[in-house]
Amino acid sequence: MRAKLKILFIFLALFYASAAEAQQNIQIGWDYSGMSFTAFAAKAESQDSLRFFYMDEWVSDIRLGEFKGPVLLSDLLDVLFRNKSLFYYIDDSGNVIITMNFAIKITGSEASPGLNFIPSSNYSDQDNQKTSASAYINIGNPADRNKPGNAILTGYITSSDTKEPVAGVTVFNQRLSSGTISNQYGYYSLSMPRGSHQLQFTFVGMKEKMVNINLNGPGEMNIDMNSTLIPLKETVVSADRNLVLKRYEVGAEKINITSFRLLPTSMGESDIIKSVLLLPGVQTVGEGSAGFNVRGGSADQNLILMDGSPLYNTSHFFGFFSAVNSDIIKDVTLYKGGIPSRFGGRISSILDISTREGNLKQFKGNAGISPITTHFVVEGPIKKDTSSFIITARTTYSNWIFKLIDDPDLKKSRAFFYDINAKYTYDINRNNKLDFSGYLSHDSFRFSSDTVYSYDNSILIARWRHFFSSRFLSLVTLNNSNYRYDVSGESGTTEAFILSHRINSTGLKADFNYFLGRNEINFGTDLTWYGVIPGSYKPASDSSIVKSETLAKERALEAALYIDDKFVLNEYVSLNAGIRFSSFFAFGPETLLLYDPEFTKSRSSVTDSVSYSAGHISKLYGGPEFRFSMNFKLSNSSSLKINYNRTRQYLHLLSNSASIAPTDTWKLCDYYLKPQTGDQYALGFYQMLHSRSVEASAEIYYKSIHNMVDYKGGTSLVMNDNIEQSLVDVEGKAYGLELMIKKPEGRVRWSLGYTFSRTFLRSTGKFNDEIINKGKWFPANFDRPNDLVVTFNYLLSRRFSFSTNYTWSTGRPITYPVSSYYTNDIYIIYYSERNKYRIPDYSRLDMSFRFSGSLRSHKLANPNWTFSVFNLLGRQNVYSEYFNNINNKVVGYKLSVFGKAIPSVTLSFDF
Amino acid sequence: MRPARYILFFAMMLFSGSCITEFIPETNENADMLVVEGLITNKAGNNTVKLSKALSLSSKTTGTPYTRCSVIITDDLGNMTPLYEKSNGLYVTDSAFAGVVGREYKLTIRTNNSGASNYTYESVPVKMVPVPPVDTIYYEKQQYNPGSDAFIREGCQVWFDSHDPDNKCHFYRWDYSETWMFQLPYYVPNNICWISANSNVINIKNASILTENRITGYPLIFISPESDRLSIKYSLLLNQYSISEDEFEYWEKLKTITDEVGSLYDVTPSFIPGNVTCIEDPTQDVLGYFSVSAVSSKRMYISGRFRGLAYLYSQCPSDTVNDLNAVADLNWKRWVIESDELVVPPIYILTRIKGCADCTVRGTKDKPLWWDDSK
Repeated sequence: MRAKLKILFIFLALFYASAAEAQQNIQIGWDYSGMSFTAFAAKAESQDSLRFFYMDEWVSDIRLGEFKGPVLLSDLLDVLFRNKSLFYYIDDSGNVIITMNFAIKITGSEASPGLNFIPSSNYSDQDNQKTSASAYINIGNPADRNKPGNAILTGYITSSDTKEPVAGVTVFNQRLSSGTISNQYGYYSLSMPRGSHQLQFTFVGMKEKMVNINLNGPGEMNIDMNSTLIPLKETVVSADRNLVLKRYEVGAEKINITSFRLLPTSMGESDIIKSVLLLPGVQTVGEGSAGFNVRGGSADQNLILMDGSPLYNTSHFFGFFSAVNSDIIKDVTLYKGGIPSRFGGRISSILDISTREGNLKQFKGNAGISPITTHFVVEGPIKKDTSSFIITARTTYSNWIFKLIDDPDLKKSRAFFYDINAKYTYDINRNNKLDFSGYLSHDSFRFSSDTVYSYDNSILIARWRHFFSSRFLSLVTLNNSNYRYDVSGESGTTEAFILSHRINSTGLKADFNYFLGRNEINFGTDLTWYGVIPGSYKPASDSSIVKSETLAKERALEAALYIDDKFVLNEYVSLNAGIRFSSFFAFGPETLLLYDPEFTKSRSSVTDSVSYSAGHISKLYGGPEFRFSMNFKLSNSSSLKINYNRTRQYLHLLSNSASIAPTDTWKLCDYYLKPQTGDQYALGFYQMLHSRSVEASAEIYYKSIHNMVDYKGGTSLVMNDNIEQSLVDVEGKAYGLELMIKKPEGRVRWSLGYTFSRTFLRSTGKFNDEIINKGKWFPANFDRPNDLVVTFNYLLSRRFSFSTNYTWSTGRPITYPVSSYYTNDIYIIYYSERNKYRIPDYSRLDMSFRFSGSLRSHKLANPNWTFSVFNLLGRQNVYSEYFNNINNKVVGYKLSVFGKAIPSVTLSFDF
Repeated sequence: MRPARYILFFAMMLFSGSCITEFIPETNENADMLVVEGLITNKAGNNTVKLSKALSLSSKTTGTPYTRCSVIITDDLGNMTPLYEKSNGLYVTDSAFAGVVGREYKLTIRTNNSGASNYTYESVPVKMVPVPPVDTIYYEKQQYNPGSDAFIREGCQVWFDSHDPDNKCHFYRWDYSETWMFQLPYYVPNNICWISANSNVINIKNASILTENRITGYPLIFISPESDRLSIKYSLLLNQYSISEDEFEYWEKLKTITDEVGSLYDVTPSFIPGNVTCIEDPTQDVLGYFSVSAVSSKRMYISGRFRGLAYLYSQCPSDTVNDLNAVADLNWKRWVIESDELVVPPIYILTRIKGCADCTVRGTKDKPLWWDDSK
């Protein structure tokens, strides 16, 4: 009955009640033991001529305790509503008005209709910010108002459209110049002195929100934010004003998804990896190569997480496209330094990709075509406001290109890929949320009619978010990630074969997040079980005489425990100190070869072998990883941060080419292959300019890397059973200065980034074949000292946007031939010092123009056109230089992947 | 199995803008490492060790011989066989010497540079493994179309089969020597010659990954109709070697950095160490390999008719004169390819390219002793 009363009633009641003084001394003198709140309210209404206004779902889990004699109604409600975001107001007429999230404050002297406006808890339609800014919301018990000390305001920030939590929202108190950022659950916590404050909630792609509060004591305030009406699908996220000042880490970069979608594309495909490359400190060996290099780390030192689950192959078409469909991306953060202790397993960076959740309110979709691919998204509620799904899929139809080609070999070539993401989200209740998601990607290539490549990623994830209380939350993730490739060749001959490699990992992660006063404590555990089949080589047909061979499977457990504390020391200093203890257990069965230490490891220096049976640990590694950051607020608009972190990595990608090759294999650490460790020291200075709309930063870092590996010359890593015989131990050092100035918001957005960085490697082996460049430091393949990136976006109107970016960097180092010789009449080129020369500088300008067919976001089949030109200047950037013997003379070749400007058009429809 | 270069094509076609430009690399580093080409077989008279110095990139010579070294082969019984320098840098055993299957051999080199510092180089001992005979060598005409013209041209693909019933030879290496007869289109004294060429690519095979030690249809060479190999008669001598696993890996690595270049996934090129090291200074890079191997050989002939063979002498520039004295200022850099002195005035057809008038410029008039006219 009265439980069905709507908010409207509450408003009416408020106005009705506003002139009256609050009356709080009603006594309850009857036995209410064990009653539900609804039953209690019903009885109170009949017994004490009270009227209760509330909504059923607010009080459904409230039960009254034991009756121990008459109590004041206010005391009783205080007890009942403790730790809930419920507030009450009792007026003189016996109306008991219960509100969620906001308390009602009525001060007679200030009584005027304007001030008494109470915003709805959803804040859903505040077009007039002045109005909302002039309304005060009481937080906490007004009686606590004069207590000493700070009070903490907490709450969740969600998107009003999708009900998804919004991470990265800046909550800022202008007057105090203090603030915070919502975490990955949309949760924020801010400590302020009691009293009146104005809070600003800002987030790119969302309408800014100003909220006035009277902070009486600890309390909770949840905020819904509306997205702005830029005709782009933007649920999401960016590094925000002030964010850069607030973050503890040096080197965490949140990708602005709105700007990301505006970026020019290479073949009509938005590509998250390519936008990562625009960040300072991130480099690549060359275009069309899978992987990227972060602050002097090799490509396998980046952990790419999709909803917390590792993705082992991140590209389609061997690196021309990213394997992650941009339609599913909600939020991307690259940690190039200051890696939070909840992450580990790779030493250079973490690329944390969160995927979208389906819309809880309505069905929506989008489909598009580009020259290479077609893709669609469908999402919608399964049960409105409770459960939802989202499915995205993408596939290519590039085969038509091959058919146009004259070359008979290439005519028979085929390339194909697809990827599918699906996610089901279920909000069990306020405190529990489940989601299940799956990812599947497939690539296949047939070269001529002979060799066929195929590779697959598949990921399954189940996650459970649980809120023990509003300040203590947990996220438990169970995932399985599988990657395999098959190469088949020589088909139709007696040596037809299939070569396969597979890595499978099952992870269980539990992350806990606890807010305690000025502390935010994160702790948890991270367990991963690996199974790797390094390689198998099998006959592809009955007539094949190829010997079936499978290299011994590797099994290992990586286990980590971590805890860290983000601690606000005072107004000026905050710090984040953490430790992650990681360990690695390699399990048998395994046969290990022992070598004579006087000689380089080779077939001929084997002295003995040791066997470990199944279940026995053949090697154990472990150690602490310290993570520490400190943030000094220098002024209201500048801060200084220092950072140290150590990372350990138990998984290597064996690759002896400059960029990741299709046949590279993953290898777990073993008796000989030690975990890579990295230590990074970084210092950053951040300054907001131009009334906080422009942010400038300077970061310097120094990094040392141990136990990296390189390979003895020309070694084949495929089907290599005793890889230790081919390895060269290498250590690395990297340092750099990253300068960035950007305006990330508004109609005109731009950024200018310059990086000076160097990366050097040195072989540490003692035998001749383990020494590179005589044991001196030499530049790594991805050492590109100067790197300049300029981006510019102009949102001309809601329908048109223009975007351009320019990149210039030093060419990568390359090994040149120094002489040549004949052996058995074969002309051989002799290469000497590694990476002594460089290919020419790289320079590229891209441009794109977006056009939306209609402003009405819900018009059926709303078309969006994107016109893009990649490499507008048509510059023939050199990807690599290689050398060949032509008539017994060394001839060099410069290879450019993109030799001219590449235009593309993408069309997509919303439905 | 390594389609890396196809990936390049993919890129090219997908983006239709890939391009490759040529340049001459210039490095001015001094690198005159010792190059060892040693081959000890189970056949007498064939056992040589060739020593030279690597060439700088700009040099036009074919390698500087490393002369005046003392070269010794020692077997696992302690027998020492000294080699003598037959010609500059070419050291050979006594013609009676032949390696024995099952024995191990080690190479020792001592340089004798006057004045400069001298070094001793030594190989690891290598065991000689038996080798089976080559079963058959066979060929087939194949259409060849380098351009888009519809003119049918036929090349020749040569394959061979081999197998080892004893399964003792796990790692094979092959090289071959081609010899062919060619004829000038003019009635000149040196009209028919023979010319030879040695294989210059790496041919190796790992039979240990096969359930049966059988090599079927190994594609040895494709003879393009653009050469004149198939114009009259062609012969190929295939040598099959049983090499060690280490040597196999050495060649495989060389092949990787030599052949598999030009893609996006090139293996980082580097020095590939062989099995010879410098005793005094182990950090010296020593190039080449001391190979110990049993050998079996097989010869085949091709004298079939092929269509569309290139005619190498169609481009001989010629001129017709009536008086040789009139072109005396050519300073004898002209050769008569046809003449008719019976007419008046006499007619001489001249060329300024000696190869058009004398087949010995490219080949030799001496028919090889083994040349079998009947095959």
